[in-house]
Amino acid sequence: MKRPAIRKFLIALIAVAAACSHEAGTNDTLTSIGGVRVGHHTLAERPTGCTVVLFGGGANAAGLAQRGSAPGTRDTDLLRPTSAADRIDAVVLSGGSAFGLDTANGVMRWIDEHNGGLFSRGTDVPTVAAAVLIDLWVGGKPQIRPDADCGYRAAAAATTAPVAQGTVGAGAGATVGKMTGLDRAMKGGIGSAAVARAGGLRVGAIAAVNALGDVVDPQSGAVVAGARAEDGSPADVRKLLRTGAPLRRSSVGENTTIAVVVTNARLSKADANRVALMADDGISRSVVPAHTSADGDTVFAVATGAWNGVADVSVVGALAADVLAEAIVRAVRKATGAAGVPAASDRPRQ
Amino acid sequence: MRTTILAAALTLQAAQPAHTNTTITAVPGIKVGHFTLAERPTGCTVILIDGDAVGGVSQRGGAPGTRETDLLNPLNMVDKVNAIVLAGGSAFGLEAATGTVRWLEEHNLGWPAGASRVPIVPAAVLFDLPVGGNPRIRPTAECGYKAAAAATSAPVDEGTVGAGAGATVGKFGGAGRSTKSGIGSAAIVLPNGLVVAAIVAVNAVGDIIDPSNGKVVAGVRNPDGTFADARKLVRAGGSSPSRAGENTTIGVVATNARLSKALAARMALMADDGYARAIAPSHTNGDGDTIFSLATGRWDGTADITIIGALAAEAVSDAVVRAATQATSVAGIPAARDLRR
Repeated sequence: MKRPAIRKFLIALIAVAAACSHEAGTNDTLTSIGGVRVGHHTLAERPTGCTVVLFGGGANAAGLAQRGSAPGTRDTDLLRPTSAADRIDAVVLSGGSAFGLDTANGVMRWIDEHNGGLFSRGTDVPTVAAAVLIDLWVGGKPQIRPDADCGYRAAAAATTAPVAQGTVGAGAGATVGKMTGLDRAMKGGIGSAAVARAGGLRVGAIAAVNALGDVVDPQSGAVVAGARAEDGSPADVRKLLRTGAPLRRSSVGENTTIAVVVTNARLSKADANRVALMADDGISRSVVPAHTSADGDTVFAVATGAWNGVADVSVVGALAADVLAEAIVRAVRKATGAAGVPAASDRPRQ
Repeated sequence: MRTTILAAALTLQAAQPAHTNTTITAVPGIKVGHFTLAERPTGCTVILIDGDAVGGVSQRGGAPGTRETDLLNPLNMVDKVNAIVLAGGSAFGLEAATGTVRWLEEHNLGWPAGASRVPIVPAAVLFDLPVGGNPRIRPTAECGYKAAAAATSAPVDEGTVGAGAGATVGKFGGAGRSTKSGIGSAAIVLPNGLVVAAIVAVNAVGDIIDPSNGKVVAGVRNPDGTFADARKLVRAGGSSPSRAGENTTIGVVATNARLSKALAARMALMADDGYARAIAPSHTNGDGDTIFSLATGRWDGTADITIIGALAAEAVSDAVVRAATQATSVAGIPAARDLRR
C-alpha cells in the first residue's frame, strides 16, 4: 500500500474503533439508567416540541421540587409524600406554554395502547406528570405548539439510546439570557448527563433549559450562554445586577427550566421528594438568577429501585444536583441557533 | 497645587466614606447583636428591627430546628416581625428567642393584640453540641436577651462569634476532617438606593465554594491541610454521609424595599439559591438549612422582585464565603485562614 492509502486506512480504522467504543456503552445521558427510555418529537412548523421520559413499569418512587414562580404543570400534587400514588409511568417535558400540557394526553394514550399487561384490569390508569416551558415568542407563529400527537410520537420514539441533545424536543424553542432583552438572548436547549459510581449507584438528569437568567458552569464560574451586551459579547447578569445596571423587566411569557432526575436507588416517596429538592440546587448553581418570578422552574425525581445497594438520600441528592447542573450546561453547549437566536456553539471556542 | 490635591482628597473621601458598612446593618433600621458563651464555643445572634418588617422564610434542609416559621406562611395573618434569632445549641437553643421576646416586651415592641403587644420573633438553630467540650452548655434565654441588648447598627462582627461560634463545615469526609466556619455578612448597595444584605451562620455538612470561580474555600481536609473537595468525594463514593445533629446553615436576608408578605417569601426562596451556590452539597438530610427574609419598606423606589431575589442570592453566597474566610480556629478545629499559612 502507498502511504496515503495507509493513512486513509488508519483513519478509517480509528473512526470505526471510536464508533464501536461509543456504542459499547459510553452512554453518559439519562438512558444509561436501566429501564429508562427517552423520546423527542420536534415540530417542523416552528422550533418547539416535547420530550418524554418513560419508565419500565412497576413500582417506583417519585417526587417534585416546584420553585419557579410561573409554573405550568400536570399531576404534580400526586407526587407529594402525603398523596397515595406509588408509581409514575412517564414524565413529559414540553414547549408551548400551558397549551403544551396537551402532550401528556398523547403519552397517556400511547401507554394505554402499549402496556396491556400492566393496565389489563381496566381500573388502573397510567400516571403521567408533565411540566411545560414557554417558547411561544420564538420563531413567529405562536399558535403552533406541541399537542397530544406530539406526546404520542415522542413516546413512540422513546429508546434507550444516548439522548439527543441541543435544539430538539422540549428544548427546540428554548432560549436563555433574556435580562438585557429578547433580541440579545441566546439559544437554550435540552441536555442530559449521568454519573455511575463504583458499586452500581447511578443518577442521571435531563433538562430543558429556557431560563430568564444566564447559564453558568459551576466548575469555573464562567458564563456559558446568556444575556449579551450591545456588541454581542456575554454581558454576565451577575455583574449587571450588582452594579444596578438597568435590566429589562421580566415577563412571565418567556421562560422556565424543567427537568427530570432519575436514580436506580430504592427510595421512599419522601426521600424521592428530598432528592428532587436537592437536585433543584443544580438549577441554582448553573442558572443565574434562577427561580425568578418569570420562571416556572420544576424538577421531577424518580427512583426506579432496580439497584439493590444501599444509598444515603443525601448522597443521591448531592449527585442529582451535580448531574442536573451538568445537563443544564450541556443543553446550551449542544444547542444550535434557531429562529435567529444564536447559540454558544456558533461562536468559536476560546 | 496643594488646594487641588486637598480638593481631590475631599472628593475621594465624600465618594468613599471611611467606614463603608458592607454588612447587613447597611440596611437602615436593621441592628445586629451577638452574644458568645464563655464556657463553650456557642452563642446566639439577634437581628433586631427598628420597628418592624415584613417577613418570609425558606426552609429546605432536612433537619430543621425552628420557631414561628408557620406564621411566615403568606396565607397566615401576621405579616410583621420584630426580630430574628439565630442560635447554636440545637433545639435547646430555641430558648434564646424567649430572651429576645422579653427584651422586646420591655421596650414595648410587638404585634398589637388588644391591650398588649406580642413580639414576633422567628428563630432557627444550628447543631454545634459536639464542638468544644460540654454539650450541656448551650445558648439560653439570657443569651437571647443579652444579644438583643447588644444590638447596634455598626458593621457586624464576623467569624467565630455569636451563632457562628461553634459552627463547622466539611463533614462529608467523616469525623476529624472538618474546618472551622462561623458567621458572615455581606451587603449590596445600588446607586438608586436599593440595599439587599445577608447574615449567615454556616455549619454545613458540605464544603464552602466560591461561586465566582468554583474553588473550595473551606471543607473536608486532607492530612496535608489541603481540601479534598466534597464534590469529588461524593462522585467517587469515598464519603460517609453526615448525621442529623451536626450541621445546619441559618441566615437572614434583608432589604429596604417594600414587599408584600408573598413577595418576601419569594425573596427568601430565591435567597436560598445562595446556599446552593456556595455550599456543596446543601439542603441534605443532615442539614436544617433555613433562611429568613425581611423587607423594611423604608426605601421609596421600586424594584422588580426578580432583581431583589437575585441580589439576595448573591448577598447570601457572599455572606457564606465570608463566614468561612473570617472564622478563626477553635476547639482544635482549624479555620481556612490558618490552613493557608
